[in-house]
Amino acid sequence: MKSLWKTFKQGIIYENPLLMLMIGLCSALAVTSSVSNGIGMGLAMTFVLLFSEIVISLFRKVIPNSARIPIFIIIIAAFTTMVDLVMKAYFPELSKSMGVFIPLIVVNCIIMGRVEAFASKQSFLPVVFDSLGMGIGYTWVLVAIAAFREILGNGTFAGIQVMPGNFQPILFFILPPGGFLVFGLLTSFNIWLKNRMAKSEKAKERA
Amino acid sequence: MKGIAKLGLVLAIFAAAACASLAVVYAITKPQIEAQDQIALTASLKEIFPEAVNFEDVTDKLVSKDANIKFLNAVLVKGENAPIGVAVKAAGPSYGGQATLLVGITLQRSIAGVRVLELKDTPGLGANANNPGYFVKKAEKVTFPGQFTGKYLTDAFAVKEDVIAITASTITSKSLTKIIKTAGDSAAEWLETVTADTSAETTGGK
Repeated sequence: MKSLWKTFKQGIIYENPLLMLMIGLCSALAVTSSVSNGIGMGLAMTFVLLFSEIVISLFRKVIPNSARIPIFIIIIAAFTTMVDLVMKAYFPELSKSMGVFIPLIVVNCIIMGRVEAFASKQSFLPVVFDSLGMGIGYTWVLVAIAAFREILGNGTFAGIQVMPGNFQPILFFILPPGGFLVFGLLTSFNIWLKNRMAKSEKAKERA
Repeated sequence: MKGIAKLGLVLAIFAAAACASLAVVYAITKPQIEAQDQIALTASLKEIFPEAVNFEDVTDKLVSKDANIKFLNAVLVKGENAPIGVAVKAAGPSYGGQATLLVGITLQRSIAGVRVLELKDTPGLGANANNPGYFVKKAEKVTFPGQFTGKYLTDAFAVKEDVIAITASTITSKSLTKIIKTAGDSAAEWLETVTADTSAETTGGK
């Protein structure tokens, strides 16, 4: 149980796909101009990650090693298309504002990376914890970047006006360079957090 | 040889299973997606023409003058007893791919309203054309498509002159303006021929 919990925590902080592994950045920076997009993208990503990892882990013994990549892609593409269809049917607004980035989950390196490095070698339970950890790790970073950018760049949070009426939005934060700046700040914050946690754990060991 | 055949077989089985499960999801969501499109279209039509009572399909009668801009759908909008305008669902190229707009034209050759139905563009930039909270005239709370309402087709429709562009999205602004102008012109031209013999058309009982 303890190792499962550790796997889960890996994705959220220590091996956060965006802040530590720094993969899957392009779509992450592109959709984070509003909080609702961030949440939508995070949930879609978590769903695809969870189910692709589960399916691949269950069938890992029958997937021939030399044909594994095409099989992984078929499985990931199938789940991504399902998310796209369901979003179009039940959340048309969200689907419209996310545009092309939902179908592009297929080629997201986070999913490919986790599937190749983790799911194809591990059994069911660790895989569930890994995908949830990675998914939540991805989602919280998206929401944090999006909140920062939306509040400063547009004066709203999830579409609701939060800044006073005479606040002049700083357009820079909505534009791509603003995304990079916020991302860099968050990365350094995460490194600080990681070091701090490592220190306190060491202190505990000594005591 | 045997090895390759086996690999192919395994790959085929996975592909078939993925196809089957996708087909199920597609079949479940298809009616819902179509219903959503229809709801969005009718709602947009009602927003542009609040007094509309029913719609008559006139898709074949309108011809686009621009090879890149296609008219997917066109309706003659009717009020209680007389036609009040034309609405055209037009698609044309924009910055992030194809954009679909619904353009309403009144009998007075002015734009009754514009709605963005489909737009693949950069979130936060060009996608603001479709954002009800993004205003090109902040003080009056006028959105990008909103600024066309009441505009006469005799106007220039030139971005940065009589059309205000979306910040950092000049290409999107220009493409959308062109779609609106093309749809408006064709509709106005067709209206010309209809209103000349309105009595014959409307009492013709279609």
